[in-house]
Amino acid sequence: MLASWRQTIVVLLLGGWGLSAFAGGDAPIDTATIELNRKANEACYACHSAAGIAKPPKAGLDLSKLKDSRLEPPVFNPSDHGVMDCRECHSKTHYNDYPHAEAGKTSTVGCTECHAAKVLRLEPQFNASVHAKVKGVKEKFTCFTCHDPHINIVQKRLKDPAKIVAQDNHGCLECHNSSETFAKFAPEGEKTPGQKKARPDIDTIHDWLPNTRAHWKSVRCIECHTPEVAEAKMLSHEILNKEKAEKKCLTCHSANSTLKVRLYRHMVKDEQQKYGFTNSVILSNSYVIGATRHPLLDNILIGLAGLTLLGVLAHGAVRIIAAMGRKGKE
Amino acid sequence: MSERIYLLPLWIRLWHWTNALLIILLMITGISLHFADPKLPLVEFSLAARLHQIGGLALVALYALFVVANIVSGNWWQYVPKPPGVLARCWVQAKWYMGGIFRGEPHPYRVSEEANFNALQAISYWVIMYMIMPVMLLSGLVFLFPDFAPDRLFGLDGLLPVAILHYVTGAAIVLFMIIHVYLGTTGATVTSMFKTMINGWHEH
Repeated sequence: MLASWRQTIVVLLLGGWGLSAFAGGDAPIDTATIELNRKANEACYACHSAAGIAKPPKAGLDLSKLKDSRLEPPVFNPSDHGVMDCRECHSKTHYNDYPHAEAGKTSTVGCTECHAAKVLRLEPQFNASVHAKVKGVKEKFTCFTCHDPHINIVQKRLKDPAKIVAQDNHGCLECHNSSETFAKFAPEGEKTPGQKKARPDIDTIHDWLPNTRAHWKSVRCIECHTPEVAEAKMLSHEILNKEKAEKKCLTCHSANSTLKVRLYRHMVKDEQQKYGFTNSVILSNSYVIGATRHPLLDNILIGLAGLTLLGVLAHGAVRIIAAMGRKGKE
Repeated sequence: MSERIYLLPLWIRLWHWTNALLIILLMITGISLHFADPKLPLVEFSLAARLHQIGGLALVALYALFVVANIVSGNWWQYVPKPPGVLARCWVQAKWYMGGIFRGEPHPYRVSEEANFNALQAISYWVIMYMIMPVMLLSGLVFLFPDFAPDRLFGLDGLLPVAILHYVTGAAIVLFMIIHVYLGTTGATVTSMFKTMINGWHEH
């Protein structure tokens, strides 16, 4: 479902994004093909867009259905799949004519058709995930549940950590911060047989975390809710539940911050010590206390504190010795 | 028994010790946050963060009380180094710390009800309480409400200058505290100034 508010958020996030020439990091597509695909997509936008709904090209269209399947070129075009013809996934057989054949709904191409190797690699991770472990939930999950192919942009292309955070957290919060959407996936509650499990309040379950909302603006849910990751490796698709999720603040808030290989992994080739700061790549987006320090400033202040302590101790020692000397003379 | 005068009213003593406890709490938790490292024996990070926020807000409230009480009681006048000869009196005081104190010479400045502090004290207290402390508190408040910080500066997060100001002013207050505690031993006896801060009576 492509609700209008969601598209608005993404348009704001991506404002001014240029032409994309890659589909999901695969081989580049030539400009001529992109132009052809976008031209072909205009036929879809004639109905499946805000303009199409406002001024339907044909009489008798079911506008209520269109509202649930609308998309805008400024949202789709910059996305990873934005270089493609809509009918690459939405069956050419069933969507060439209007009214579309009913079979079209069930013949949409799945992610595996193009991303078979990736799916094969990620499937065991997803199967270990909390979303696959809870009874009755796994069957309702597809890649599309978290990754919207009409909107999403890979981290490497999105670049700006704030945009990456907003995009990825939106995928989680769409369910975990909405009782209505959560209910679509929720299993039966353990304590409430016959009733769906109620959505835990997201602020309450994170009340141990200081500045919760500030964290959600600056880092992704998956920074803590995925297992440890090795440098230059992709984050796991094993989403950890609250018992297994990272709770050690120092994992991020220390000089050896794991954020370098998570949210900022695409910036690993950038200068890491800009202006002398440790983890300056992280500092480009967020001041992370404990992680983004300036060793020279630290050394100066520690040195001053040490000298001050030594100074007063030495002064005190001389006072004692001098006082003893005076007593001896008396 | 040595001569003594009643110098410090109860509110100043209560403010002083509450201020001291809060500064110590903020110093320990601030160090634990800034130098966070699994190998160092520091306060657990999330606990340190909460304590630092609570302590910081308490210090802001206490500082506001301090300023108001100083204005109402007229105590603010004590912090103003009175001319003429401020620099000369500072030099006399410094010379005593550097030499006279070792020779057992009497304190060059006699404390009175009208002027509680020697010139060096007045200047240093004024700088700490009316210049450094407000900057530390304000930068701490921006830390707590980062939406007030600039978004970006020189390609880095705009919170960085706020963080550096907070860190440096906090460190300056810690350095002051070390010296302040030590100079507290330089009264008529080693403990007499600490007693003054408890019972309000100053021994000459």
